[in-house]
Amino acid sequence: MNGSRALRAQLLLGAASILVIGTSLTSCSVSNTDSGTAGKSAVRIVLEVEPPTLEPCDASYTATGVVVRSNITQPLLERNATSGDLEPLLATSWDQTTPTEWTFKLRSGVNFQDGSPFTAEDAAFSIDRALSREINCNVKGEIFGDETMKTEAVDDTTLVVTTPDPDPVLPLKLSFIEVVPSSTSPDKKVREPIGTGPFEVTSWSAGTKLVLSSWSGYWGEQPAFKTAEYQWRSEGTVRAQMVKSGEADIATRLGPADGIGDLGEDYPNNETTGLILNGTLPPFTDIRVRQAVNYAIDKQGIIDSLYPDSGIEVATQIVREGIIGHNDDLEPWPYDPEKAKQLIAEAKADGVPVDAPITMTGRIAEWPNVAQMAQAVQGELLAVGLNVKLKMLETSQQILYQVRPFVLDEGATAVMISHGNQAGDAGFSTQYMTSDGALSTFGDDELDRLIHSAERATGDERQKLYAEAFAYEHEHVVQFAPLLHMVGEMGVAKTVLYKPTPASGDEMHLADITPAS
Amino acid sequence: MFLGVFFLARITGDPSRLYLPLNATAQNRADFMRESGLDKPLLQQFVDYLQGLVHLDLGTSLRTGEAASSMALRAFPATMQLAILTMVLAIVGAVIIGSWAALRPNGIGDRVANFMAMVAASVPDFWLALMGILLFSVTLGWLPTSGAGGPAYWVLPVATLVVRPLGVLTQVVRGSMVAALSEPYVKLARAKGASETRVVTHHALRNVAAPALTVAGDLAVSLINGAVVVETIFGWPGIGKLMIDSILGRDFAVLQAAVLLTALSIFALNIVIDICYGLLDVRVRSTSKVA
Repeated sequence: MNGSRALRAQLLLGAASILVIGTSLTSCSVSNTDSGTAGKSAVRIVLEVEPPTLEPCDASYTATGVVVRSNITQPLLERNATSGDLEPLLATSWDQTTPTEWTFKLRSGVNFQDGSPFTAEDAAFSIDRALSREINCNVKGEIFGDETMKTEAVDDTTLVVTTPDPDPVLPLKLSFIEVVPSSTSPDKKVREPIGTGPFEVTSWSAGTKLVLSSWSGYWGEQPAFKTAEYQWRSEGTVRAQMVKSGEADIATRLGPADGIGDLGEDYPNNETTGLILNGTLPPFTDIRVRQAVNYAIDKQGIIDSLYPDSGIEVATQIVREGIIGHNDDLEPWPYDPEKAKQLIAEAKADGVPVDAPITMTGRIAEWPNVAQMAQAVQGELLAVGLNVKLKMLETSQQILYQVRPFVLDEGATAVMISHGNQAGDAGFSTQYMTSDGALSTFGDDELDRLIHSAERATGDERQKLYAEAFAYEHEHVVQFAPLLHMVGEMGVAKTVLYKPTPASGDEMHLADITPAS
Repeated sequence: MFLGVFFLARITGDPSRLYLPLNATAQNRADFMRESGLDKPLLQQFVDYLQGLVHLDLGTSLRTGEAASSMALRAFPATMQLAILTMVLAIVGAVIIGSWAALRPNGIGDRVANFMAMVAASVPDFWLALMGILLFSVTLGWLPTSGAGGPAYWVLPVATLVVRPLGVLTQVVRGSMVAALSEPYVKLARAKGASETRVVTHHALRNVAAPALTVAGDLAVSLINGAVVVETIFGWPGIGKLMIDSILGRDFAVLQAAVLLTALSIFALNIVIDICYGLLDVRVRSTSKVA
């Protein structure tokens, strides 16, 4: 049929023209973010999530802190993530003048990005603001709890901070408070802060891109890159591909399955994974069953099969080496399923209901391969005769099992967690160990005593007492089954030089990134 | 709808557990609930919400501190543009391919088109999106992997999105066209000497349009709801991603604003579809006049 053939030809022609129209239609765009500022002078970073806000007092929240901390705003002093030492930043020196009083000498000649000078008034204001009950800063809950303190600006460069009780790690805690000018609202959060840092916010097209540029009035050395462009993609694979295809210079939070290849940079990230065993419910009421859990898990096997060549190590305790208080003498629990079975049999002989149901929980996507790891652990616990059911949950559900008041109506719980000690001091991990700790299901008087004396101690004594506490936990309490000391992975393109530090996931200093050529 | 979203969202969990650090104290928690107004009785919160709605104040985001309405309004155009372009391409493509296939039912062209349409209607979009990135961005380097920007940024998301509606609609158009072309009025038109082009475009297509429009409407609704997978993978700042993020973050105000906006636009879409039925089919118009 001639007509039909002609029509088919016309339809084909139509299809071709639709393609052309379609392509030209696409020139109306959502928001034009073409690389206006990109080029040699810009470093392009792709994050996992958009910072919800850049409010400096929420900078202990990772998605905010990774952009804000030490880039836009700065703290009085800063912990060197590699050496663990506190280093001066806006404060040049500090002293514990009395057990409850610390005096900070502040840097002079520093300005905020709005042109106002930085004085002790601003430092005092920033501390008061962060700890205020009116504004609910994340850093308050994360670092300070209900702790109160009095701040006093003695003169422009002298700040005195007094606490009701002696606080030997006050300077470390203050390293989490970013300094803002006293003109900042004391009871409302800001989305785009003013600080003393080397970078200021140039533009933020919410949802699409955030651009920082170097600030000419910065008191320190000017950074190598004049501009930093942040984008965000929740898929690790896409972040990795952006670095590989040259669209981004740095990609954060990658996993083994994201395919970054040679451009991946591994770094120890202070995260330790483990199981918290609720010792108030059978069968975990008996220490032998809790010990059996530790013997039953083949930690090295998990590394070999799920994380080969990753730098992930078997954990001995809830903090990793390098953190103040870490006990270097502790050995990992060996993999010994026979010993585990024997301990369970002994407990059973003494009347412990060792087959009581245990609910094990893990958080979906909390770290790469978390589901496979949880299944492996569950399998090993089943193999030694424990009755374990696994639930993979989203964050808000997992929290019900992890934080007081705990879920108690599903039998004993074994909660698989990842604990990140950002501060570098074991004092920030004791909520997992003390009787009244928010994340601790039970305690022990002697362990409480050790921890409380460690909290008040300084220097070698502090190290020794915390190390003793970890040893005591390991031998006499066993609330925790340490699993792995994790590593982070970033993608770093050949166009830039950047060595991630253990803190890079929480604060990525733009000044440390330099062009490759 | 307001009731449903408002109360369903609130039984999913307590935001203070998500927003505060794990070791937050009881005082911390109480302060947070007071500041965010979540300590009030549920009914009081609902009345406050309705009162705000009257003044077009949809509340403030817990996560970002921005006005919920401006977050939803910012994300919405991105989704709409993507949805409209996708549907235009899918409808036009389906009409052309479907009609072409229907001209020779069970011929090779028809079988190939039918098979391709089946594949298109069933392929998972996340897989397609990732393969597209791998092939066109990483291996060939023709297109950007993701993001929102100039024309090149549209190709992969639109191509990923268009595949399923195109597949489904092609099958609908082809099926209806095959049926229409064997109807007596088509035979009559041919007998009167109308060209094949005229038969398809003037006589048959009008009758094919109604079922296609119904299916297209359903497909468009799912796109306006937000193409979550595509928005997530390509970092497209649309409303689907915003809704998922606000559900996971228990960011009630933003969720309510996004649902409200989406509901309004689906309502508008349904009106447009009803008007189109009237334009296509005189019988629909006349009955409505009689009624």
